[in-house]
Amino acid sequence: MTGIEIFQTWLIAFFTLALFSFLYKDNPVYKIAEHIFAGLSAGYYVGLIWDTVIIQQLWTPMTVDGRWWLIVPGVMGFLMFTRFWKKITWVSRIPLAFVMGVTAGIFLISQLHGLVLPQMRDTMLPLWNTQGYGQLFLTIIIVVGVISTLIYFYFSKEHTGALGVTAKVGIWFIMISFGAHFGYTVMGRVSLLIGRVQFLIEDWIGSFT
Amino acid sequence: MVFDSVEALPDSSIVMLVFDYYPSTIAECEPMARTALHHFWRKDCRVITLSNIPLGGPSMAENVTREIAPEYDKQYGIDYVNLGYKANYVAVLAGMGNSIESIFPTDNSGTPLSEIPLMDSVVNYEQVSFIFEVADNATADYWVSIVNAQYGVPIACGVTAVSAPKYYAFVASGQFVGLLGGMKGAAEYEQLVGKRGKAVVGMGAQSLVHLLIISLVLIGNIGYFVTGKARKGMSR
Repeated sequence: MTGIEIFQTWLIAFFTLALFSFLYKDNPVYKIAEHIFAGLSAGYYVGLIWDTVIIQQLWTPMTVDGRWWLIVPGVMGFLMFTRFWKKITWVSRIPLAFVMGVTAGIFLISQLHGLVLPQMRDTMLPLWNTQGYGQLFLTIIIVVGVISTLIYFYFSKEHTGALGVTAKVGIWFIMISFGAHFGYTVMGRVSLLIGRVQFLIEDWIGSFT
Repeated sequence: MVFDSVEALPDSSIVMLVFDYYPSTIAECEPMARTALHHFWRKDCRVITLSNIPLGGPSMAENVTREIAPEYDKQYGIDYVNLGYKANYVAVLAGMGNSIESIFPTDNSGTPLSEIPLMDSVVNYEQVSFIFEVADNATADYWVSIVNAQYGVPIACGVTAVSAPKYYAFVASGQFVGLLGGMKGAAEYEQLVGKRGKAVVGMGAQSLVHLLIISLVLIGNIGYFVTGKARKGMSR
């Protein structure tokens, strides 16, 4: 390990332990780590956007490549800042309307074409297929699960009789789904802790030798 | 399924490895990215890395590729390139379908793409055979809805355990060719590729914690039923 690597390892270890100190109680060391993280993130993000967007995609193409038409989106972007002055706040609505229009256009197609329709198509599978009884069983589970869950969220009629029974089946599907999510969430959180402990034992304590 | 999809790629294919995770989820996501890189380079694939995550994404891509490259004798610019980060991932993903160079005029260190040999033969998604997205957030949705749906590029995904249940639906519908869920998925992939790393090591502790939680749930339920009987007895 070089000197700078050892310094980095100790710095990371300090901030890891500083954040873990919250497990005891809120304290100044935790606060310092939290504020440094927030400040560094904001500064880094501003610098990154300045370099990768303003310089690379606006300033350089305009001044070096002569693509002067980029002044239009550039000015539109800067008009967003008029929100800071009450009298001309309305000007910021022009670029905002443009952003909303473009975003809605892109999202409408991509969400419908990429998410809604393929997922619907895969829900409406033929019951009688050639993939055996196992697949048939899974298809029935999908159909029953989707219909009963949708009925659970149908509030225009009181959940009594057949509707009530179907809604109760829907609750079971929702609970099983929550259980799967909870199990995975526990695994995720434990993984993060394992990662930190691995770092402290292997890298930080390892740097002592 | 991720392993089989990469195995099925022709040698020397051009692939994308996307570092869409923050440093906070390194424990789950980095083993996936590392193993995928080993797998790609074992098949002599040329790798384009990029990130839609501003904080840490490009530098993690840089660290991982530069650390593993010497093992396979891979050279920057010829065998791999790091495009870095660009803001607004929806516009980035849609724009790369037209021209990657228009979105990333330079690589992460500021070298123009026109000076990078690997990018000579890459214009847009048409030249990319496979995308492996490693994510700890919803960017995976957009790789599906924009890149897979509109350009038909096969995508596999490695996600944190928290978001894994959501993405199984995309595997069932064929929109993802494979999915790695959390540290468990990463450990399985490490085993298959034969590169046992931090995920495999971490699974020992992971299993122990799960056994502890299951025991506590069982003890809690037994306690509930036992005290419930006692409560009933008292009320009589």
